[in-house]
Amino acid sequence: MTSSANPGARKASEERLDEIRKAAADAALPLRNAPVSHPQIRGKESYYGLPVLKAPVWTWEVALYFFIGGVSGMSAALAFAAQLFGGEAALIRAALFVALTGAVLCPILLIADLGRPSRFLNMLRVFKVQSPMSMGAWILVAFSGCVFVALVAFELTQRGYAIPLVIGIRWAAEASGALTGLFLAAYTGVLIGATANPVWSHNRKAIPPHFLASAVGGSGAVLELIGFLTPATQLLGFVAAVAETVLGIYFELSRLPVNSPLHRGKSGWAFRIAGTLAGPIALLVRLLSDSASGRRAAAICFLVGALLSRYAWIWAGVASAKDPEALFQIQRKA
Amino acid sequence: MLNSDAILIMGSNMAENHPVAFQWVMEAKEKGSTVIHVDPRFNRTSAVANMWVPLRAGSDIIFLGALIRHVLENELFFREYVLHYTNAPVIIQNDFGDTEDLEGVFSGWNSEKKSYDPASWMYEGAAQDGKKSSAPKASESEGGHTQHGAAAMPDLSKYKTDPTLQHPRCVFQLLKRHFARYTSEMVERYCGVSEESFLRVADVYCKASGPEKTGGICYAVGWTQHSSGVQIIRCAAILQLLLGNMGRPGGGIMALRGHASIQGSTDIPTLYDSLPGYLSMPKFGEESKTFQNYLAKYKPRTGWWNNYDKYIVSLLKAYYGDAAQPENDFGFHWLPRLTGDHSHQGYWLDMMDGKMDGLFVMGENPAVAGPNSGMERRALAKLKWLVVRDMVDIETSSFWRSAPEVQSGEVRPEDIQTEVFLMPAAGHAEKDGTFTNTQRLLQWHQKAVDAPGDSRSENWFMFHLGNLLREKAKKDPQPKNAGLLALTWNYSTEGPHQEPSAEEILKEVNGYTVADRQLVPGFTALKADGSTACGAWIYAGVFPKAGENRANQRASKDFYGHGWGFAWPSDRRIIYNRASARPDGKPWSERKKLVWWDEAAKKWTGNDVPDFVATKPPDYVPGENAEGDNALAGDKPFILHADGLAWIWVPTGLADGPLPAHYEPFESPVSNPIYPNQQVNPVAQSKTRAGNQYASSPDARFPYVLTTYRLTEHHTAGGMSRTLSHLAELQPEMFCEISVEMAHELTITPGEWVTVVTKRGAIEAHALVTPRVQTLEIEGKLIYQVGLPFHWGYTGLVKGDVGNDLIAISEEPNVRIMESKGLLCNVLRGRRADNVLGVKELLEAQKVAP
Amino acid sequence: MTISAFLTDATVCIGCKACEVACKEWNEVPADGFVWSGLSYDNTQSLGASTWRHVMFLEQPQTAGPQIADTKDPFRWVFLSDVCKHCANAGCLEACPTGSIVRTDIGSVLVQKDVCNGCGYCIVSCPFGVIDRRPVDGRAFKCTFCYDRQKAGLIPACAKACPTQSIQFGNLEELQERGNNRVHELRERGYEDARLYNPLETSVGGVHAMFVILGEPENYNLPPAPEVPTIYLKSAWTSALLSAAIAFVIACVAFAH
Repeated sequence: MTSSANPGARKASEERLDEIRKAAADAALPLRNAPVSHPQIRGKESYYGLPVLKAPVWTWEVALYFFIGGVSGMSAALAFAAQLFGGEAALIRAALFVALTGAVLCPILLIADLGRPSRFLNMLRVFKVQSPMSMGAWILVAFSGCVFVALVAFELTQRGYAIPLVIGIRWAAEASGALTGLFLAAYTGVLIGATANPVWSHNRKAIPPHFLASAVGGSGAVLELIGFLTPATQLLGFVAAVAETVLGIYFELSRLPVNSPLHRGKSGWAFRIAGTLAGPIALLVRLLSDSASGRRAAAICFLVGALLSRYAWIWAGVASAKDPEALFQIQRKA
Repeated sequence: MLNSDAILIMGSNMAENHPVAFQWVMEAKEKGSTVIHVDPRFNRTSAVANMWVPLRAGSDIIFLGALIRHVLENELFFREYVLHYTNAPVIIQNDFGDTEDLEGVFSGWNSEKKSYDPASWMYEGAAQDGKKSSAPKASESEGGHTQHGAAAMPDLSKYKTDPTLQHPRCVFQLLKRHFARYTSEMVERYCGVSEESFLRVADVYCKASGPEKTGGICYAVGWTQHSSGVQIIRCAAILQLLLGNMGRPGGGIMALRGHASIQGSTDIPTLYDSLPGYLSMPKFGEESKTFQNYLAKYKPRTGWWNNYDKYIVSLLKAYYGDAAQPENDFGFHWLPRLTGDHSHQGYWLDMMDGKMDGLFVMGENPAVAGPNSGMERRALAKLKWLVVRDMVDIETSSFWRSAPEVQSGEVRPEDIQTEVFLMPAAGHAEKDGTFTNTQRLLQWHQKAVDAPGDSRSENWFMFHLGNLLREKAKKDPQPKNAGLLALTWNYSTEGPHQEPSAEEILKEVNGYTVADRQLVPGFTALKADGSTACGAWIYAGVFPKAGENRANQRASKDFYGHGWGFAWPSDRRIIYNRASARPDGKPWSERKKLVWWDEAAKKWTGNDVPDFVATKPPDYVPGENAEGDNALAGDKPFILHADGLAWIWVPTGLADGPLPAHYEPFESPVSNPIYPNQQVNPVAQSKTRAGNQYASSPDARFPYVLTTYRLTEHHTAGGMSRTLSHLAELQPEMFCEISVEMAHELTITPGEWVTVVTKRGAIEAHALVTPRVQTLEIEGKLIYQVGLPFHWGYTGLVKGDVGNDLIAISEEPNVRIMESKGLLCNVLRGRRADNVLGVKELLEAQKVAP
Repeated sequence: MTISAFLTDATVCIGCKACEVACKEWNEVPADGFVWSGLSYDNTQSLGASTWRHVMFLEQPQTAGPQIADTKDPFRWVFLSDVCKHCANAGCLEACPTGSIVRTDIGSVLVQKDVCNGCGYCIVSCPFGVIDRRPVDGRAFKCTFCYDRQKAGLIPACAKACPTQSIQFGNLEELQERGNNRVHELRERGYEDARLYNPLETSVGGVHAMFVILGEPENYNLPPAPEVPTIYLKSAWTSALLSAAIAFVIACVAFAH
């Protein structure tokens, strides 16, 4: 420390401090003379800047679940739309398989994130309309069931069991699979929007469109990567990329303090990179090249962007919970 | 305290350290009482007080002396009370010399012996040896924890008074003259308290006194742990007597003790110089050659202590039973004799010099709590054996392997020959017993659970240890073992571990008649002829008959709590309560009535048990040769004094003067402004030696004032709090508190590590920067104060450096307590390990003029 | 149903933390970390899964009320014991998907720890930042209002331990009145910035744990206008369903062409 830093100073007295200061001034070394700010609470300040709210405790599984749930849920809707408008069977099957894969992966991810995974069945103890998470648990169950039945029924119709009963079941299952799938893709936005978290609740009207845009583009992109480079999937890709771009601009322009996690720090960077990948870049690549490799590249960009975007929203929630001033400012305006 | 119209808390952080008792201060405040807190730091008491006055640590006597002067100069004293109940009108001998005339010392100072001959402090007319006895006239005023540190007991019943309080040598005038220069201006210049603040305090507090009002004072170790600690408290006593606050509801002085039953540990003492009930341990020499010599010294002719022989004989009967007979002076010669300074500091230094073989440490942790704890730890290494009884492995039992000096390599475990025994102790819920609190209240606590494993109570340990020693003594019939063998040691035991009955011990403490083993109802039943036994006369009455354990009663039936526990003496809740009535026996006022004379029933009555002979009328005049309490008139409430008066002036019994005088602490940033030629208390001992050195006053190497304190979250040396997660997490790390200005000047970032250095050593602490520590202006220059809690040590869930490593071993003259408030230090940025060179420089550097 | 309530009064709190310790002792709450914060005497810093009473230590310049410290820049040190608010409309309760969090017969909000599976949704739904998930254990925990003690006719551990009766326990109506009277009395005694914190006019609908404070609620990290997040459901769901419908239409358009 100071004594060893200055070899000339050996006198243990007040003079030594003065000598050091003088030497430092002579050598133009900066002294740490910044005004001391000890913890004090002034005016309407928070309690020493400590967070008011608790940060979300969800880990990587939940963001991944948002992504996969959106893609697979929308995939079921695509399957139904394709079925309605005479899409090729291979595509419908693929879409249903994507939906089923999601239906299997999503519960695993959610159960893994629970503090007490062995008690996952407790999610089905109640059905609470006012709890998006309760609704989500049931939606997931329903979705899994519907998609499974739909796929089985579909396969049956393809292998010569196209009797009215099976077809009827297939239609019902595909329709309800689409309905529950759309709920699956959409409810996650409500899940985080209807909370006490400032950046989430403030953006509760914008998050569902954002999640759904990712779902539309993501499910289309998956089909493209599987090999279905059709006009339908191209349109899905375009519309989704445009939506992402528009939303990206909207979030970027909103400079309220509550939205600073979308512009600053780890969450801000992730959000912008994600938005750029899924929005302007995916759009640009699709515009510049409609070759197979170009479309696949655009699909990959979109998927990466959409996945990162879910993480960005979670990280933004963590950052927002830690900012007491953001919370107070929203409430004082109210 | 609920009755107080003003409460002055000084030398105490009551809310911090006595939070449960503090509820009464809060309630008093809600009722309209003004709470004044005088303290170097703004702490948890200040936060809820009405007024906080920041004060330089060590300048208390200037402040209190100025209050006394204020009362005298402005004639705010309670005249009738002062006239009748105190020794203010008493005339002092004409060879008395005050500190005003003798450059800071009183008359009788012997600079060779470094002690006072108190003869010139005596009342004019009081005989020096009023009893014809061969009692030696010691020429030293010895102080001590008991009533009688004096020379041969003078006869204080004979004295002259001036009821007009004008005689130049009456106590009142001597007092006035003594404190004449303790002005509010002095307070501003040397305490750092503005005159305005001081006068506000004086005004509020003085207005809260008189017949209709009372003010109370609370103090704790902020006063006691000074080289003039007793004299600081004396200032409060003088103030309260001048204002007429003693013995009255809402008045008095609350000595807030350091932990749960420390009052009990002075009543049934663990103090080296007292026997139970504040009787005196005999000193080796003339005074203890014969029992008569001893009694001549300690049994005055007048006042309640005239019953001394009844109490000592009953105690000896309790100790020695049938072996104590008139023929062998009841075993008086089996009692140990004091041969020197056997206080904690005294014997610890002997330990350091290799003069002790072994030590029992029970319920204490000197490796952290002792003064100059680093030196105390090194001293432990000189013992042959050490027995530590505690609930956990504390720093004292693990010093040999984990002390800082061992961790740094300075001391090696291989070089330590001490054999350490750690005996597990039972906690308070695991054994029966009593606590005695600050209010002298005994409360019984019951065993709730068995202690785990081998943990045992103190009673069990001492009882069985005693049995083992007696077994050995039986086979070794030397004279020195006779007392051990003569002890009554036959408590009945119960349970699988043979736990001695705590109730039996309490009964023995209460006392009984020997012939029929009937419990005595109180200490008035005790006799000097060996027919009664009593373990502690002041506790007599706690167990007045079989089945009636008053300490265990929990049915409070009145405002003062009678029916809940037992307050010694005789369940008097406010002692000296005769002073709550006028000389004629009527209360001073309706509002402040407590006890009064009932003319019809011809006895004292009231809301408290009268601290007075119930049938002695207010107009009683003692006969010519009356003795004991009968020698005290009906208007003399302070019955334990031979003159029945409260002592504004202490004619005998204190080692350092009849009146308080301001001396600076051993290490101070200023010279003594009141007595420039006497810097420190002349009788206090600094015990300067290698490892226990002092800075000069002032000292450029150590420019800041250091004071130590406690936190609510931890308990003393931390053995019971740093080992419990629920407490440890509340205050996990050692920190110091410094002012904003100091942090700015030393460029200390809030929270960073700093190293605090004194001449005794260095420790590290986080810097908590706060305006609650104020920078004071003393004599025109800025003084920074550094506050340090002392709870941390090197064992437990949370560890930290030991604050008491910085304190010196020193002894206040009367009770030998160390000075931990008001030292000098320096502060370096960075951790201790990073400042090794810097600290070395500071400790070795020559004194430089500031 | 008589509603149990707390009234915690900062003006008689001495910051002793007996409430923190008593709560932990009774409810066997584990240690919450040995961290020196440097923030006055508050090393606990916030409520959480393993801290159900949290004493705050506000060092602040004094701008209102009788001055204690006779210094150039007057300051004060105010203490307050924070606790779960047991909201009339509780965000955690509405959010809980397992039905673990329930309203009891004494009006408190209780986490049934044998049901909770640690989904973490209550944590982001509490507008006061009270409830949290305990690491390793995995479940969410918060103040139980000493439900077990109350059912046995005892008062909560914190109220029992508080030496100055800063923590008062009783029924809601009575304590509301007491709180209002106390604020009135404090204002008369010159404490101009005394107030009762009980957000009755928000969607939370008032709390069963009220506070008498000096100064702004923000200084105590008490939200000035807390809302129960269920008020956001309507707008969020509307947006979600609309977006979903549009997404489906786009899918149809894509396949129709």
